Amino acid sequence: MKRWITLIGFLVIILTVTACSGKDEKATGSSGDWTPEKPIEIIAPAGAGGGWDTTARMAAKVFTEEGLIDQDIGVVNKPGGGGAVGWAYIAGKQKSSYNLFVSSPPIVLIPLNGQSEYGHEDFTPLANMIADYAAFAVSADAKWDNLNDLFEDMKKDPASITVVGASSPGSMDHIQFIQIAKAAGVDVTKIKYVSDQEGGGLTQVLNGSADVYSTGVAETVEQVKAGKIKVLGVSSEERLEGEVIEDFPTANEQGIDATFVNWRGFFGPPDMDDAAVKYYEEKFKELSDSQAFADIREQYGWDEMYMDSKSYKAFLDEQKEEIQSLLDELGLSK
Amino acid sequence: MDSIEGIITGFQVAFSMQGLLFVLIGVFVGTFIGMLPGLGPISAIAVMIPVTFGMEPTVALVMMAGVYYGAVFGGSTSSILLNAPGISGTVATAFDGYPMAQQGKAGKALAIAATSSFVGGTVSVILLMLLAPILSSVAVSFGPPAYFALMFMGLTLITSLSEGSTIKALISAVIGFMVVTIGIDAQTGTQRFTFGNVNLLEGLDFLVIALGLFALAEVCTLIINRKDLSMDNAHKLGSLKITKQEFKEMRGPMSRQSILGFLLGVLPGAGATIASFIAYITEKRIAKSPEAFGKGSVKGLAAPETANNAATSGAFVPLLSLGIPGSGTTAVMLGAFLVLGVQPGPLLMTDRPEIFWGIIASMYIGNVFLLILNLPLIPYIAKILKIPRPLLISLVIMFSIIGVYAISFNTFDLYMLLLFGVIGFFMRLFSFPAPPLILAFILGGMMEQAFRQSLTISNGSLMIFVQDPLALTLLIIALLSLAFPLIQQIRRSKRA
Repeated sequence: MKRWITLIGFLVIILTVTACSGKDEKATGSSGDWTPEKPIEIIAPAGAGGGWDTTARMAAKVFTEEGLIDQDIGVVNKPGGGGAVGWAYIAGKQKSSYNLFVSSPPIVLIPLNGQSEYGHEDFTPLANMIADYAAFAVSADAKWDNLNDLFEDMKKDPASITVVGASSPGSMDHIQFIQIAKAAGVDVTKIKYVSDQEGGGLTQVLNGSADVYSTGVAETVEQVKAGKIKVLGVSSEERLEGEVIEDFPTANEQGIDATFVNWRGFFGPPDMDDAAVKYYEEKFKELSDSQAFADIREQYGWDEMYMDSKSYKAFLDEQKEEIQSLLDELGLSK
Repeated sequence: MDSIEGIITGFQVAFSMQGLLFVLIGVFVGTFIGMLPGLGPISAIAVMIPVTFGMEPTVALVMMAGVYYGAVFGGSTSSILLNAPGISGTVATAFDGYPMAQQGKAGKALAIAATSSFVGGTVSVILLMLLAPILSSVAVSFGPPAYFALMFMGLTLITSLSEGSTIKALISAVIGFMVVTIGIDAQTGTQRFTFGNVNLLEGLDFLVIALGLFALAEVCTLIINRKDLSMDNAHKLGSLKITKQEFKEMRGPMSRQSILGFLLGVLPGAGATIASFIAYITEKRIAKSPEAFGKGSVKGLAAPETANNAATSGAFVPLLSLGIPGSGTTAVMLGAFLVLGVQPGPLLMTDRPEIFWGIIASMYIGNVFLLILNLPLIPYIAKILKIPRPLLISLVIMFSIIGVYAISFNTFDLYMLLLFGVIGFFMRLFSFPAPPLILAFILGGMMEQAFRQSLTISNGSLMIFVQDPLALTLLIIALLSLAFPLIQQIRRSKRA
C-alpha cells in the first residue's frame, strides 16, 4: 500500500510541476513612442525548415545583424494544425507587444475550413513582407505542355487526372490550383486532389502515381533544371525574374485570367498597442528596404510585397471574401 | 568515370584538416545529444544549425551529417541503460538491450550496440557510395499502393513482437491504431477525436507515446517493485568484451540488416524506425531460438542497431539525389542545407561534387570516429547505472519531460506524456505488451493515408493494389508471413 502512495505522490508532483510552468508575462500598455525593452519572440506556427520558419528566421537575422532592433529576437517553432496551435498560443498573449508571428494564406483558409477558431481578424496585422507564387508541375514526359492542354483533358474526364499537394483539401496547395482551374472553366467540384503531408508530392509525380504537383515556385527549380519535371504554369501576374523561373509561363499569358499570391507577413496578438504597431510597421519597412533582406529575397526567389498594417488588413478582408466563395462552391466551407 | 573523380574529390574534402576536425566535432556533439534520453537527431541538428552560419558549406554540411548519424549512433545508450528511447529508431533497441543491462551486462550491451552500429553505418556507406546515383530511381519507385503494401507487411509482423497472449498483443495494436487517428485527417481536412482541443490537431507525437510507455512506465514499475532494487545486478557494468560465440551470433543479423536497413532507409517515409522494427522481427522469425528474444538476446540487440544506422545512410539517397526529405529529421537536415545556400537535388552530384561526395566520404571517417569515441567511453557512460536509484529515476523523468517539451514547447504534451506513462504502467501490470502499440502507431498513420490516396487515384477501385507490381509482391509476402506460423503449427501438431 505504501508503494502505491509513493507512486501517487510522485504523479501528483509531476502534475503540479507541469501545471505551474509557463504562465505569461503581463502586457505592457503605453501610448506615444514605444520601443521594446525586453526580448521579442517570433512564432513560426510550423516545424523547422518550412516557409514560415525561414521567413521568421531570416527577418530575425537581418533585424539583429543590421542593428534595426536592439533587443534579442527569438524564433520559436510551434507546429500543429496547419498553424492553429501557434495562433491559439498568440491569441492568449492579448495586448502583448513582444509576441509576433509569421503567417500567409492559411490564416485565412484554415479558419474557413473550420480547423481554427482564430482567423486574421483576431490578430493585429503588422506588415506584409514578401510574395511567393504557386507552380503547377507535371512529369517531364507528361503529354501536356501547357495549362490549357491539361485543363482541356480535365474538362473531358476529370476522374483521370490526380492533383497532389502537401496541404489538406481546402488549404493552400489545393485552393491555389482550384483558383486557376476554375478561371479556365474546369468543374472544380470534380477535381481529384490527394494530400501527401510527408512531402511525397514530388515523388508521386515522378513515379506517375499522381499527375499534377501543386506547390511553390522555389520547390520546382532543381527538378526542372535536372529535366525531371516541367512547370505548366505559375500563378503570378507577370513573369518572374531569375534563372530558370523566368521561363515559367504564367496562367495569365495562357489566357487564364486568375492569379494566386502566397503572401507572407507578420502579425501581433489581439489588441496590440497602437504605438507598438507603429514601431513594428516602421521596422518592417526598414527591413523590407534593406539590402540584406533584398539579398535574402533573391536567394529564396521571393518578391517584395510590403504592406503596412492598415492596407494589410484591408487586403486580408478581401482575400477572405474571395476564398469563402471558392470554398462554398467546393462545399468545403464550415 | 565522373563518379570516381567525384569520390576522389570527396575523400580530399573529408581528409583535409578542416574536414577531419569538423567531422569529429559533428559526431561528438551528435552522439552526446543522442545519448540523452528524449533528445535525438532533430534536436541535435536544430541546435547546430546556428553554429554553421558563415561556415564554408562543404565543411558545415560534413559536420551536420556527422551530427545526424552521430545522434542515431548515440541514441541506443538511453534505450539500453534506462529503457528511455531518445528517438523512434532506437525503440526496438530497448527490447533486448534493456533486459541485457538489467542482467548486469550493460557494458556488453553497449559494446554490441556500438559494434553493430559501426558495421551498419559502414556497410551502408559503401552501398551509398556505389549505388547512390542508381538508387534515386528506387527511392521514387514507391507510389501510394506500394507504400500501403509495405506498411501492411510490417503489420503482419506485429504479433511476433510479443511473447504470451496474441490477443493481448492485438488489443495493444488496435489501441495504437486508434491513437494515431487523432488529429486533422490529411485527406479531408476533418478533425478526428480532437474534442475541440487545438493541441490535438496535429495528433500525438511519437516521442510522447514512446517515452510514456517505456520510460515513465518503467519508472513507475521501479517504484512499485522496490524490493527488486536490492538485487544489485542492474548496478553492474559487467565485462565489455564480446565473446567469440557472441560475435558469431551477431554476424548474421549484422550482414543481413546492413543491407535491408539501408534499402528501407532509401524509401522516403520508411526510415530508421521501420527498418529497426523489421530487422528485429525478421531476425526473430528466422532465429533458431526465438524465445530468447526480449530477454537479452545478442541477436535481438544487434539487428535493430545495425538497421537503424544503415537506414540513416540510406536516408541520404533521396535527400541528396532528389532533394526529397523522407522523414522529419531529414526535413530539418534539408533546412540546414538551404540555410547554407545548397539545394540538394538531382544536380547536386554534378554541380557540387565536393559536397555530394564529401558528405559520403566523411561518413566513413565519422563512423570510425564514433566507434573510437564510444567504446572507451562505455565504462563511464554505464556509470549512470551507479547513480542511486531515486536520483536516477528523477533524472529519467526530467529528461523525458525535456525531450517532450522540446518537440513544440507545449505543456499539453507533458500531460499526454504523463497519461501514457500511466497507461503504460497499467499495461505492464496486466501484461499487455507495449511494442505492438508503438508499431501500430508508426505504421498505422502512413498505412491509412497511403490506402486512401491509392483509392482516390483509382477512383475507388481496389484493383490498384493488384495492378501495381511492387504492391502485389509485397502483399504476397505479407500473406505468406501470415500463413507461415499457421503452417508451422499444423506441421508440429501432425508430428505430435
